Parts: sequence; structure tokens; C-alpha cells
Amino acid sequence: MAASKDKQSQRSIWVFGDYRNYFQNRVTLQLLSRATDLAGRIGARVCATVFGHEVDEYVGEYIAHGAHTVYVVDDSRIKDYNVDTYASLMVWLIRQHNPEIVLVGATTFGREFAPKVAKLLATGLTADCVGLDIDEEGLLVQTAPAFGGNLLAEIVTPARRPQMATVRPGVYREIPHNYHATGEVLRLSLPQDLPRPRVRLVSAERQVQREQRLEEARIVVCGGRGMGSLKRFRNLAELARLMGGEVGATRPVVYANWAGQDALVGQAGRHIKPQVLLAFGISGAIQHTAAITGADFIIAVNKNPGATMMKLADVAVVADANQTCLALIKELKKHLRG
Amino acid sequence: MNLVVCIKQVPAVSELPWDPQSGTLKRNLAEGMMNPACRHALEAALRLKEIHGGYITAISMGPPAAAEILHEALALGADKAVLLSDPKLAGGDTLATSYTLGRAIYKLCPDFDLVLCGCHTSDSETAQVGPQLCVELDIPGVANVEHLQVRGRTLIMRRLADNFLETLEMDLPGLVTVTTKQYLPRYASLGGLNEAFQSSEVRTLTAADLDLDGDKVGVAGSATRIRAVYAPQAAKENVVLKGAVKDIVEELFNRFGDRIAGAIGKDLNGRQ
Amino acid sequence: MNFYPCMKHTVIRKTVRAFAETELGAIAHDIDQEARFPWEVIEKMRPLHFFGLQVPKEYGGADLDSISYAITIEELSRVCAAIGLCVTVHNSVGLYPILTFGTDEQKRRFLPRLAGGEIIGGFCITEANAGSDAGGVETHAVKDGDSYIINGTKIFVTNGAICGAPLIFAVTNPKSAKRGASVFIVEKTTPGFAVGEIEDLCGMRANPVSSLFLEDCRVPEENLLGKVGDGLKIGLAALDTGRLGIAAQALGIAQAAFEAAVRYSKERQQFKQAIASFQTIQNMLADMATEIDAGRLLLYRACAMKDALSPFSAEAAMAKLYCSTLATRVSGQAVQIHGGYGYSKEYDVERYYRDAKVTEIYEGTSEVQRMVIARSVLTRPS
Repeated sequence: MAASKDKQSQRSIWVFGDYRNYFQNRVTLQLLSRATDLAGRIGARVCATVFGHEVDEYVGEYIAHGAHTVYVVDDSRIKDYNVDTYASLMVWLIRQHNPEIVLVGATTFGREFAPKVAKLLATGLTADCVGLDIDEEGLLVQTAPAFGGNLLAEIVTPARRPQMATVRPGVYREIPHNYHATGEVLRLSLPQDLPRPRVRLVSAERQVQREQRLEEARIVVCGGRGMGSLKRFRNLAELARLMGGEVGATRPVVYANWAGQDALVGQAGRHIKPQVLLAFGISGAIQHTAAITGADFIIAVNKNPGATMMKLADVAVVADANQTCLALIKELKKHLRG
Repeated sequence: MNLVVCIKQVPAVSELPWDPQSGTLKRNLAEGMMNPACRHALEAALRLKEIHGGYITAISMGPPAAAEILHEALALGADKAVLLSDPKLAGGDTLATSYTLGRAIYKLCPDFDLVLCGCHTSDSETAQVGPQLCVELDIPGVANVEHLQVRGRTLIMRRLADNFLETLEMDLPGLVTVTTKQYLPRYASLGGLNEAFQSSEVRTLTAADLDLDGDKVGVAGSATRIRAVYAPQAAKENVVLKGAVKDIVEELFNRFGDRIAGAIGKDLNGRQ
Repeated sequence: MNFYPCMKHTVIRKTVRAFAETELGAIAHDIDQEARFPWEVIEKMRPLHFFGLQVPKEYGGADLDSISYAITIEELSRVCAAIGLCVTVHNSVGLYPILTFGTDEQKRRFLPRLAGGEIIGGFCITEANAGSDAGGVETHAVKDGDSYIINGTKIFVTNGAICGAPLIFAVTNPKSAKRGASVFIVEKTTPGFAVGEIEDLCGMRANPVSSLFLEDCRVPEENLLGKVGDGLKIGLAALDTGRLGIAAQALGIAQAAFEAAVRYSKERQQFKQAIASFQTIQNMLADMATEIDAGRLLLYRACAMKDALSPFSAEAAMAKLYCSTLATRVSGQAVQIHGGYGYSKEYDVERYYRDAKVTEIYEGTSEVQRMVIARSVLTRPS
């Protein structure tokens, strides 16, 4: 008992175990990695939580990726992801252990779950962080985007605890799986007084939709009004097909019916994060560029070298968008023939 | 149905004037507009009202100029518009904002059936106020809803969350945050706008009117502090290619072929 | 005196701007090139009261004040001047005379359909031998029982090919100079009414400007607007209002050209710096901004006078003269700032330049505006 009390007095950084899309979305592992770095700086332990039913595989994973302690609530009654139930559990655990920092992956679930936890604890929460650091006073400095990524804000929670953040997937690199890692697993039974969930899940179907494809695509070929016409715009589809990518469109293009609403890349549409983005005839209005901040490598084609899009690009091609698209198609066909 | 829609005025992003050197926002220059997701939430409320009848109260919190979007809401079909405007409320984080909105809703329409918010704002983008308002009001709620249907006292909702197409239900009263995927907003008619300014009223309430606890609103009631705001470094090395299209494309493959091939996942040297 | 726009005007501007940018922004260039009238957008404009801007609510209009009207036309024209033209001509010269001079029965018959955009209005004075000089009109109407038989050809009719019930200015008494003409509401379904070829014009190409042929068109007496011989009075009143709309349209074009010039001069690099850093360009931009601002104040003042029921002919003429002149100048400067690109159809400033010119010509040429202004100046008690 003494050992456990000793541990309780030690500071801890918690990571919420969000495992629903484990193979595609490894944000929990990424956060364990960042938590490990930060924990070293403030002398804290790294803890993870796992709620659900038959979730042992994740417990092992989290330990292998850096968690010192994993709190597990494994019960058939909580097998479905439920924001309210999981939030109640999280609050119940946090109140017992008083972690210094709680990190949650900025998945759709996490971004609904974390605000409720923070509100119930009357503490601060920073949304969709792209950076986490510790300052000289030991405070967690959370960097969050605003205005579609056009501005970054550094936010701290000076007095209240825990300091909470949701963190955008892909910001941090996970620690390689360590088979030799050991950790403490604390299995807790479902508290009796847990409130009944007031939102009922009727059905949940795993979807692989067009919007997912665009958002998950490694290559996106995006076109703007500079393509000139519907006929020319269709050439982008051919290029995308050759590259195994998806076609995106700007707002004027969607309004002109060259592309469907589901292809809209922008603040009111999809946010994309491809490895390579090819932007054809796009001027670079903020409502569009805000949605491409996750692109690794941008090739922009525009006749106007001064277009905003050209400045954001890694490679700015000063040329006619359609002709360049056609030349790329031709060249790719040659390359891919072998 | 007794519907409450929370709307926010945000700077029109298409012309966001900010100083790249200091990274500060010249807010006084930025034109305000109704946050896009809030517009969709209002549209969802209008359609519910069309089907089930009812009464829509639009609530916003912000400077006096935010009355603009409330007039717009009236023109679009809201029945009542209330602006919570007080210097004491300024600078609040989502914890303080959800407290303020929650108290206002209890004061103004305690018998509400459904509160609708936009799923996130285009300025601060936290997406936190809706879920936190649920907690403040102690009602069930669902974020990022794409489609709503009312059956008796039950609300059936559809949404896409982390690759899952979910159908959820809850008993009213409840709260939803609405995405921009469905509920394409209508335009306000010019006659509607004219009337909204002539014969309708936007009520302005202060912190005192709402009996708010001064320690829970504005900066004082916020758990977080903004330490710095800056523009991200656009430190990209920018290669400019010009000339004949054929040469450009060739150079593109020579210099960046690896990158492209990596993304395609195929070897691009088939030509040899 | 208050120079700040009220919240209503601000919101109306934002609403129309959002509509225009969303619904017309993407097609403005194409419909100009294709000379296509975008019915699909008109469809969306109908329920939003764009076709009944100042029509009372009882007839299905928006009942707007004149400054709101000007702002609406300005914002539409900022994105697509040809549609701004359609809307202003419909509302001012096409509809306003019925509102002002029509009998209750005429209002009941025509206003709801016009205000709802179900039929589009037009106004026809111009003929081969009559333009600035309305005295040269040859189209004539002869009383026959309880009808009039109208014969003649009207040219350069804005909204010509799409109008449902244009107002036709026709001679009823060739002997009288001042009271010789009358105005008739002629429905396009009238036998003998035909639309001519659509003009191939320099600008405003998405508006189907055409000739109208009237051959033994039998128009019932009930369609006579005002009294016999009221033609000139109605025409002048219509034109006063029309001029506010054209001034607003010119202003919208100028605003668009100015914004494009500012954007481009910040982007365009020459001698390793943005051309906006050159004093020459800065001087141009400064002049453009000043003129636009001055024009806007002139226009809104004329609108305010109209709403205050003060005589506003001279002020409307001043606004129209000044705004149309500045639109031509500003759009020309915008092309100049764009250099070779500005002369290309790829950039919108080329369209603004073409669209601007006609604002100095229609609804009374600049020369006619000066005539109106001079007459007012000279008859003022000194």
C-alpha cells in the first residue's frame, strides 16, 4: 500500500486510450510518445486509460509504447464508445489520482469527450493542439491553430488542474514498439453509481466514404477556376487516377458544377493532409488554404506567379494549369508503363 | 418545439487582415459574419420549425456589432434574438462561455426542447462550447450531427464520427452541434432583412441582467490564458519552375520524382 | 449629417455580397464570354426580393429605402454587372413607373408578378432615330375603340429578350412636343410583339439586349400608364430613378476593378518587389480610392434626397455622371496596373473595363447628364 501511495504523490501525465480506429489512427501512441518526453522534464509518470470490453490488446500496446501505468475498466456494459459514459469514468479516475496533465487525441470522439471532462472538472482545455511543451515554470504550453491555421496561439492553464489538451493526429511520432517494456496494469471495476448514458447508440457502421478517401488520400489533385472549363477540369481526374489520388476542388469550381460538393476542399468542406498536393489554377483564398495546412509537399501550377497558392507551394510552376496537367499525364504514362 | 440556437459572429475569413510581422489580428478591420457552422445550425432549426412548428430563440455573445448576425437570424426566421454583451464577458474561454450561455438559456427559455450550436467556429476553432454547454445545462448532447429527426420526445441523429456512420438517439431536452455538411443554409431575403430591422428587436443583456457570477465569466472565469499569438513561419523553400511546359514537367520528375513516387507508392523509373 | 452606414445597410451589403460572390462569382466570366443569361441564378433571386426591391410588401416586394437599393445594385454589379443591369433596369425604369403612375388595377395586375420576378421588366424609348432626343421617337399608338394599336421598332432594349411586360414609349399625338407621347405596358404575349436579334455588344454581354418589334400590337386601354400625353413626364421620372441604379452599377464595377488592382499590385513582382511599393502605382490606387469614395457619397446623398421626397433630378444626374465617368477611369487604371494580363480575358479587369463604358452612355449619356445639371444650376435663384 505504501508503494502505491508513494506513486499517487508522484506527478503524472495521462493519455486517454482512443483505440477505435487503431490501425489507421495512432494518435494515442503518438501522445504516449510526447507524454514520455514531457514527463522526463517534470519528473512525472506516464499513464494511459483504456475503457471498453475485451481491450487487453490495447493495454499491452500502450505499455509497449511508453505507458508506465494503465488504468483499465473492462466491462461488457461499456463496450460501445459512449462520450458520456467514458467522460464520467475519466472524471472519476482523474478525481482520485489528480494527474498534472491529461492528453486526448483530437479525433471526433476525443474532441467531444475532452470538453465534457474539462467542464466537469472546471479546468482548462486547449483544442486540436499542434504543439506541446513545458515552460520554465513547469507549465504545459499548448500551441493551437486559429483562423484555419493562419494563426497559432500559445495557451496555458496556469492555476487549474489537470492541464488538458486535445492533440491533432500526426503531430508526434510514436516510440517504436518495445516488447520488453513493462508497466503496471490497474484493473478497476465499473463504479456502481455511474450515470446511465442518456445518448443511445442505435447503430454504427464503419464507413469508407468518398470524404474519407479525400481526407485520407496520399495524393490530392486539386483544381481551381484557373482550369478554365469543365472539360479541362476533367483532365485532373485522369491525372489523379494515374497517381492513385483523389480530386479536390475549390469553392468557385464547386459552384460552377465542375465538381460535386463532396470534392470541396475548404473550411466548409474537407480538410486534407496528403503527402503530395498538386494545386492547379488555384489562387489561394484563405478559406481554401486553411484546409490544406496538413499537406506535406505542395506543387502549385498557376500562370500568375504572385498567387497566394504559389507562395505556399514547395514547387511553384508558372504555366498554364491545363497544359501542365496534360503534360504530366503524358509523362506519367511513360514512367508508369514499365 | 422550443428551439434555441447559439450563433457567433466571426471575422470574415476571406479577408482576414492580420499583421504577419506581429501576428496580431486587426479585428477592427475584419468584417464580421455569422460563423458558417452556426448558420447551418440555424438552418437545421428552421427546418425543424417548418416541420413541427415552434419558436426559435437566437442567442449570441459578443460586442454590440454582433447584433448584425442576430438581425440576420430574425430575417431568416428566428422569432426572438438576444445579444449577451458586456465588457465583463469579454475574453472568456470555452469554460466561461458555456457557463454564460447556459445561464442565459435558463433565464430566457427554461422550457427549451433543443439547443443547436455550430460544430465549431472559424476563428477559435475549439468545437468545445457545444459539448461544455451540455454539461452546464445537464442535458444529453451529441456533437457533429449531420441529420436530425424528431419523433415524439426523442431526437434521432446521424453523424459521421471517426469512420463510423452512427445513428444515435436521445430524449429531449437535448443539445446538438451541427456540421456544415448538410442543411445548406438559405439566404435571408431583402424584405426579411428590412423587416428585421424595422419591426423586430434584438434584446441586449448584460452580466447583471443575467445574475452571472463574476468569477465565472470573462477572463476571470477562464481556466486558460493565451500567452502569445503569432503567424506560423512560412519557411518553405520555394522552387519556382517556368518555361516550356514540357521542360517543366521533366524537371519536376527529375528533381521531385522521389517525392511523387513515394506518395504514389510506385517506382517511377519505368521509362528506362 | 451622419456619414456612417447604419447596421441595416451593412447587413444588406454583406448579404447581397455573399449571394453575388457565391452564386455569380464563379460564372460571371463565363456568361460574359458565352453571352448567356443565367436563368438558374434568377430562379434563386426571385424569392429573395431582388425583383421587388422597393415594391411595398403588399405586392410582394422588399420595401427597401433607396440607399439599400443602391447598395444592392452596387454589390451585384461588383461581381456581375450584367445581372446588376438586369435588376436595376427591371426595378427602376421597368417597374417604378407602374408603382408611381399606375392605377390600383394596374398595380394589382402587374406588380406581384414583376416583384416576384415572374416577369422581367424593361423600358423602351431608344429607336434608330431617337436616343438622347426623345422627340425623335417614331413608334406610335393609335386609339381604336377601347384599345391602342402600336407600331414601331425599339432598339438596344436592356432585358430585351427576356422581358415579359416592357413599358413602351410611343407617340399618341404627333402635333404636341411636350404631351405627344404616352407609355404603355405591353405584354410580350401580345400578337405582333416580337424580339429581334440579341445585340453583340462590347460589355454587359450576359444581358440579352435586343430590339423589339411592335407590329399592329393591340394593347387594351387599361395598359396605358398615367394619362394620354404623360409619356415625357413618366419617362423623366423613370430616368431619374434609373440613374441612381446606373450610378450604383458603375460604382460596383469600379469597386471590383479597384479591389482587383489592389490585390494584383500586392502580388505582382517587378524589379524584385511588389509593384504596390512603387509610387506610381500608389498614386493610381490613391486616386481610384478617392474617386470611388466621392462617387459613393454623391450617390447615397441623391438616394437620401429621393427618400426624403425632395427633388433629386440634378443630384441623380450628378451621381450618374460622376460614377459612370469614374468607373471607366478606374477600370482603365486597373487594366493598366495589370499590364498585359489586364488586357487578357483571363483576368476580370478586362471585363470590368468593357462593362464600365456603357454606363456613360445608357440612361442618358454623360452629355445629357450635364444638360440636366446645367439646367438646374442655371435656373437656381442666384
